[in-house]
Amino acid sequence: MIRSLLLSFCQWCNSSWWGHGIRGSTWLFPFVEIFHLLGLGILGGAVLILNLRLMRLGFKTASTPELAAEVRPWMLGSLAVMLVSGFLLFSTEAVKMYGNWAFQFKMLFLLLAVIYTFTIHRKVTLGDDGLRFGPAVRILVAIVSLLLWSGVGLGGRALGYVTTSVGSVSELLR
Amino acid sequence: MSIVSFLEWLSNTQFSTYMRESTWGEPIVESIHVLTLTLFLGFAVMLDMRLLGVVLKRRRMSEVLAQFNPWLFGGFAVMIVSGVLLFSADPVSFYNTHPPFFKIKMIMLVLAGLNVLIFNATIGRKVAEWDLNPTTPGAAKAAAVVSIVLWVLIIAAGRAIAYVLPPP
Repeated sequence: MIRSLLLSFCQWCNSSWWGHGIRGSTWLFPFVEIFHLLGLGILGGAVLILNLRLMRLGFKTASTPELAAEVRPWMLGSLAVMLVSGFLLFSTEAVKMYGNWAFQFKMLFLLLAVIYTFTIHRKVTLGDDGLRFGPAVRILVAIVSLLLWSGVGLGGRALGYVTTSVGSVSELLR
Repeated sequence: MSIVSFLEWLSNTQFSTYMRESTWGEPIVESIHVLTLTLFLGFAVMLDMRLLGVVLKRRRMSEVLAQFNPWLFGGFAVMIVSGVLLFSADPVSFYNTHPPFFKIKMIMLVLAGLNVLIFNATIGRKVAEWDLNPTTPGAAKAAAVVSIVLWVLIIAAGRAIAYVLPPP
């Protein structure tokens, strides 16, 4: 049931006016993609700054909550840019993406990364007063964040290489 | 020896052939190149925003520079190495992309590097003097704006290369 809902959603995006418009133009896709790439640069930087701080590998003179407050607008802004540009890019070949296992992987990791970032990661960064969380917790929280976001990035890179002849990860593993 | 004949010589080396023909070589190096970009661009923009007085305002400039610079230089080094590796897979094609996005990107990279050098040699050296000023000197702000504009264009040119590069 979920599968057919997802497929209908993909078909709807595919046939949308923005899907059509970007697909039909030579320069619109690269243009939107550049925003996606720039958003990636800034989001990645923001995530890295916080995680390096959590692991005490950098930004040692700032307090984590302060740093988090400074970095937050950039994280939210760049995430918004990525979601909008990503949705536009997705719409140009939404049905192909439905069958692309790298894209499925990327979306799964994106969902996990966003949920994680706004729950556990947020709690720890805002509560890291130097005493509350020991090094093991801080480092683990940072590493999970880096792994989840890297998964999104790598999935994004891989989706260009994956054809839809392989329908799912389970098919690939068989 | 002209540039093109040097590049042709380069494409015939074992290493270049390996990069071109290996299934994993190019994807891995390109992934490193693009993902290191996230390290580099985010930090560069943060630093430039601090120079423009938009972010991390309560922190001294010298402190911000000291914190970001190691990552910026390290990230830049990885970008250069991975970039050279990518280029070496098909030097002639990159050099001859039409429109000349590769050449444009290289020129802008040199300009970006010069911008950093000039900043560090002049206004940057005297950072202790304006460390705690409410606003940074005009020259520092100019360097920050030039930096942001160049990096955005460099990334755009980099992406454009992939669109005009002929298959190997």
